[in-house]
Amino acid sequence: MKTEKPVEATKTTEPLAAEPGIEERAFSLLDWMSTRGIFIFTGLLILTAAVFIDGFASLTNITDVFNRAAAIGIVAVGMTFVVISANYLDLSVVAQVATSAVVLIAISNEHGFLLAFALAIVIALAYGIVNGVAVGIFKANAVIVTLATTFIGLGLLRWFSGGSIYFGPPDGPIRAFGSTRLGPIPLSMIVLVVMTLLLSFVLTRTNFGFMVKSYGSNREATRLAGVNTSMVVIGAFIITALAAMVGGFVLAAFSNTAVSSMSDGFDFRALAAIIVGGTSVFGGRGSVLRTLLGVVFVSVLTNIMVLSGLGFGYQQMAIGLLIVVAVSVDALARKAAPR
Amino acid sequence: MTDNTMASSVNGDGPAIATAPIVEARNISKAFGGVQAVDDVSLAVPPGEIHAVVGENGAGKSTLMRVLSGIIKPDTGGVFVGGERLDAGDPRAALEAGISLVHQELSLVPEMTVAENILLGSTPSRGGFIRGSEQRRIAAAALEEIGVTVDLDEHISRLSMALRQFVEIARAIARKPQVLILDEPTATLTPAETDYLLDMLQRLAGRGLAILYISHRIPEIFRICDRITVLRDGQHVDTVATADAEPDTVVQMMVGRELEAVLGEHRDAKPGEVIVSAKGIRAPGVNGIDLELRAGQIVGLGGLVGAGRTELVRAILGADPRTAGDVTITLDGKTHSINGYGAAIANGFGYIPEERRTDGLALTMTVSDNIALPNREHLSTGSVLERGKIARFAKQLADTVGLRPPKIEHEAGQFSGGNQQKVVIAKWLGREPTAIVLDEPTRGVDVGAKAEIHRLVRELADDGKAVLVVSSDLPELLELSDIIHVVRDGRITGTLMRDEADEAAVMALASGQTTGAGA
Repeated sequence: MKTEKPVEATKTTEPLAAEPGIEERAFSLLDWMSTRGIFIFTGLLILTAAVFIDGFASLTNITDVFNRAAAIGIVAVGMTFVVISANYLDLSVVAQVATSAVVLIAISNEHGFLLAFALAIVIALAYGIVNGVAVGIFKANAVIVTLATTFIGLGLLRWFSGGSIYFGPPDGPIRAFGSTRLGPIPLSMIVLVVMTLLLSFVLTRTNFGFMVKSYGSNREATRLAGVNTSMVVIGAFIITALAAMVGGFVLAAFSNTAVSSMSDGFDFRALAAIIVGGTSVFGGRGSVLRTLLGVVFVSVLTNIMVLSGLGFGYQQMAIGLLIVVAVSVDALARKAAPR
Repeated sequence: MTDNTMASSVNGDGPAIATAPIVEARNISKAFGGVQAVDDVSLAVPPGEIHAVVGENGAGKSTLMRVLSGIIKPDTGGVFVGGERLDAGDPRAALEAGISLVHQELSLVPEMTVAENILLGSTPSRGGFIRGSEQRRIAAAALEEIGVTVDLDEHISRLSMALRQFVEIARAIARKPQVLILDEPTATLTPAETDYLLDMLQRLAGRGLAILYISHRIPEIFRICDRITVLRDGQHVDTVATADAEPDTVVQMMVGRELEAVLGEHRDAKPGEVIVSAKGIRAPGVNGIDLELRAGQIVGLGGLVGAGRTELVRAILGADPRTAGDVTITLDGKTHSINGYGAAIANGFGYIPEERRTDGLALTMTVSDNIALPNREHLSTGSVLERGKIARFAKQLADTVGLRPPKIEHEAGQFSGGNQQKVVIAKWLGREPTAIVLDEPTRGVDVGAKAEIHRLVRELADDGKAVLVVSSDLPELLELSDIIHVVRDGRITGTLMRDEADEAAVMALASGQTTGAGA
């Protein structure tokens, strides 16, 4: 019930710095690892792979890596907003991506591209609003809510599709999008970069992004500053949902197929990228640009394993291990910071 | 100095030390950061005595009790039970030696039953399985000992505050203590419930239990306590037998400073028209309060911790819902009704909350961002933030409040308490509020920053703002306020103008000890 009361009691007797002024933060390895470290780690990983792994440094392999990374990356840069708002993650991106992909191909086949696009947007908004209202207004736990909406969403999708695989026409606009390249760069890559820059701008330069960060840092202080905090949370989930929709389009276009199981594991892969990128699961700190680096890191790591003949099971273990290490570093860095 | 506490002040007859003390604190000192919370305090209590420990907020009472119960390890000095020295800072050792603390903040688990809570931490078990019947037997015995009837299987969340308090006491009693420590046990009780509790404590003492009773409430202390130890600014002022003491002299000892009103530079207050009018405010902890704030006037809210002052200001602002009452604010001749926090902020209120670290600041964000937060609409075009404008705006406000060093791109959490408080004030100054509410504006703030914050508050009033200050720091309250309302049990028990207010008058109204100056 009143879980916050004892905290207040200790606050009053808490030792406060006797000297006025700034507590200059000594260099902290943990802090460095959870923020700037990603640049070095990603660089080192790519370098190591280029030197030691046969076939890594080929153009086909690298474009293949990025092509695969694009969909997860777009989901991750969107989901960064939910993580920064201190709501952990949005598990329902799995259902959102698959739904978006199936809607794009199946509805396009029957009723044309525009209707498919419109329907996908409506569905994405519905996901964002349902998750956002439950978490932001009813204050339900984000993990449980989005786990539940994943079930609802995948349930609906399987009822609709019966588990069948949808194929786009071999010469339609979707196929064209999926196979277009600017020089060696696939279009999906460009979508990822554009989404990253756009969302980075939203996070760092707009009123809304500012409130998301502030809310993640301290909910009550943000509310008392006159912010409509429910709308902030709903907005964070809507951004995630719209990004997941775009991720679904890219995924569908890349293979020109769609099936309800095609985005399995996207939730944790995206989370791994976000946390490895140094966005704190405690909220308030994070960066969309670093999430992009996190995506590169996770994708290259996976690719190295594929090229080394390590199967899906090993890749899964590696992602899990990566998350454990990254959240531990995040927690330790937070503990070490003065506050 | 050693063991001179007993002899120092118990003169002759009183309920002096017939038996050896069961519990003793010898020369306890404890500092937090640079603040000496307890400074060489000694205390001894024999079995069967009810011993009051009194002092203003921050006098060191709670810290001393936390040392006695092993929650805090003292810097120097020791705790002795029956002549044996306890391991310092080990709550388990204190419990085993028979010292039980009844917590000020209720520490029960609301979702568990009465019986489960009473045995929490010492649940009887065999081979890992809870022995339910044994648990119920011990819980029932403890409740019987304190004379309270309550269903053992009821969940705590369904009990009244008073019954919860009694369950807390039963929990302490179930451990068969020799010493019981109660910290403000009557803070949330009605007068009838308080009577019941005081009778209960007298019965327990009659059976040989030593009781340490922390309270602000002088009448209660004179009713049940045998001796009184007075603390002030962490130091032991005196220990007197209740029979030899007068309530007024105890209040004087608590306050010190010979009861002169400590007036700072006198501000020439020119109260203008009414800006804020609050009528019939009711909310949890607030029982019907009317309040007016005028332009250019600093209104102080005095009272003890838990009197309902924070609840009152939050209800006025709409930061927490109120159950009854109306609030209006007059801006440029137009009167607006305040029905929620959003309306309060939009119509010229500024609020510096009591807990700056949990409610006032986003500690992981920069000073600049913290200052920008409530002002974001003025600092953006469309919905895009203007970073340059924010930096200039924050810099200017940081200078106004005297942030040192003025590094607005550092995280708020890196600054000292005084600087953090200046940032919270700067946030709201940026909005140029018409009415500003400051709850404990200088708690945990160093002396220099305190003076600067006082200057800022005075400047706000001089500037024609309506200012409301909540403070438990009596000299501060007297120094700042043009008029003081004293709150007790969610009601205003007296109003003092600047020239009639002194520490004794405020304390008398705050503690219900009304033989001093009344309203």
